[in-house]
Amino acid sequence: MSRVPVEQAGDPPVADLVADDTRSETRSSTVAADEYAVIMHLERDQLVAETFRPVARAQLSRPVRLSLLALRIVAVLLALMVIYTFIALLH
Amino acid sequence: MATPEVSAVPPFLGHPQLTDEDNARSHDRSRVHHARSQDKRWHLLWLLVGPGILAMIGENDGPSMIAYASDGAQYGLGFFVPFLPLLFAMAFVVQEMAMRIGAVTHRGYGELVLQRYGKLWGWFGAGDLCVTNLVTLIAEFVAIRVGLAYFHLGPGVAVALGLALVVFTLRGSRYWHWERTVLGLAIFNGLFLVAAVLVKPHLGSLTAALSFTPFPHGSFNTLLLLLASTIGATVTPWMIFFQQSASADKGMTPSDVRHGRYDTALGAVLAGVFGVGALVAGAALLPHSGSGIQGFAGAGFPQALDRVAGGAAGTVFALGLIEAGALAILTISASTAYAAAECVGVAHSFNTSPRNAAVFYAANVGVALIAAVVILIPGAPLLSIALNANVLATVLLPVSLVFVLMLANDRGLMGRWANRRSTNVVGIAVAVFVAVCGAAYAIDSFLQVTGAIGS
Repeated sequence: MSRVPVEQAGDPPVADLVADDTRSETRSSTVAADEYAVIMHLERDQLVAETFRPVARAQLSRPVRLSLLALRIVAVLLALMVIYTFIALLH
Repeated sequence: MATPEVSAVPPFLGHPQLTDEDNARSHDRSRVHHARSQDKRWHLLWLLVGPGILAMIGENDGPSMIAYASDGAQYGLGFFVPFLPLLFAMAFVVQEMAMRIGAVTHRGYGELVLQRYGKLWGWFGAGDLCVTNLVTLIAEFVAIRVGLAYFHLGPGVAVALGLALVVFTLRGSRYWHWERTVLGLAIFNGLFLVAAVLVKPHLGSLTAALSFTPFPHGSFNTLLLLLASTIGATVTPWMIFFQQSASADKGMTPSDVRHGRYDTALGAVLAGVFGVGALVAGAALLPHSGSGIQGFAGAGFPQALDRVAGGAAGTVFALGLIEAGALAILTISASTAYAAAECVGVAHSFNTSPRNAAVFYAANVGVALIAAVVILIPGAPLLSIALNANVLATVLLPVSLVFVLMLANDRGLMGRWANRRSTNVVGIAVAVFVAVCGAAYAIDSFLQVTGAIGS
């Protein structure tokens, strides 16, 4: 079971992720055994099909969002200062 | 709680569609599982080291080693010999969190920020990374050029060498091959330690320097520049992106977190020792007007060491610069590739073929190519770009640190692997220290340049 909370809305059920049904008699038992061996060494949530399912969006409070925005603005301003200083010193 | 590997077979009927990436990663994981089940501890450690060492030694790049040597040449060993290990301890705290997040969530930093906190923050982070990485990559090519200049080789050779390495390491479409090739190159970062031995430092002065004295002299702005550039030489945004993504790409799981810590700690120790090696080598120039050799002033350091400590020291230092630049080109290009492909939402693994991960491979080679082209432009201000690369990284780093702390504390993602209180205290202290140093330098320099305050 995946530890990471994945998006609920539009989440494909496990059956939709199944490429082909191993219960099918038409499936080669050798191929099934190979795929079984592959999965055995990986955690379920390591499979590429699983990692491409986005994690659920975090619900940030308004103060947290504003703090992040303030931090981002300050970082951009400081970066612009560094770039301006760099260009000014070139001349 | 992590699912034990032995019982990782999903309980449902049928399998998700398996890809070549799954097969390659499973192959690597089968060896880890075998070593663990056979209690082969050293073999297990050998299999699981990589991302931590590469992130740490990768940051011992050309500009960083020049910055350390420059610190030694201008100020001697005092203050910096204890300051560098302190910075690498800070880097360990940050990188351990990145490794843990990657191992637990199996997702890179870029995609996790984008999915968990929204596209705005994800793309901002990736944008920061691309800007700082491009500037730093230019500096890496300059470092290779400086090293090669000692052997009378031109910038064309530097460009060809850097690009050839990037393409060479991408062969095989396997993370394991890429990692081991780059680790092999990382060993030669030890050349700076050899250079330190060759300059025959006075052991007493090394020991005396551990007292954090004398404090660097000079103006307030010079001190801020030293702090900001030295921090930027030790902890940077690309390291966070790289180690989290590489840990996920390697296939690390929560059961590997302990070995991931060993890997990160080993990387921090080696990088610290090699960094001090560059500092000690540079300090040999202090009694010989070392302060006149600043930053990337031509091929100054190898040639100056040649005159002061002999041809062997100059040669080893020049080779070290070539290695430092080359290694960083590989790791920084990789971090750009991870970030770009993760944010676009396409395949982002060395275990995927170029045909199936076109964005990942194109970004990997493309960013190195752009940097290579820049250093071939006649009259480009390469030395100034190189010197400002670390400072720019320091200014933008706090945002990345805040998101790493948020992710590492997200119990919905991390479960029992979330940060402990002690880790948070140290992590927040690191973020505040970096933010204050970066902001103070940026504001002070800006006010001086605009004439608002005197220098």
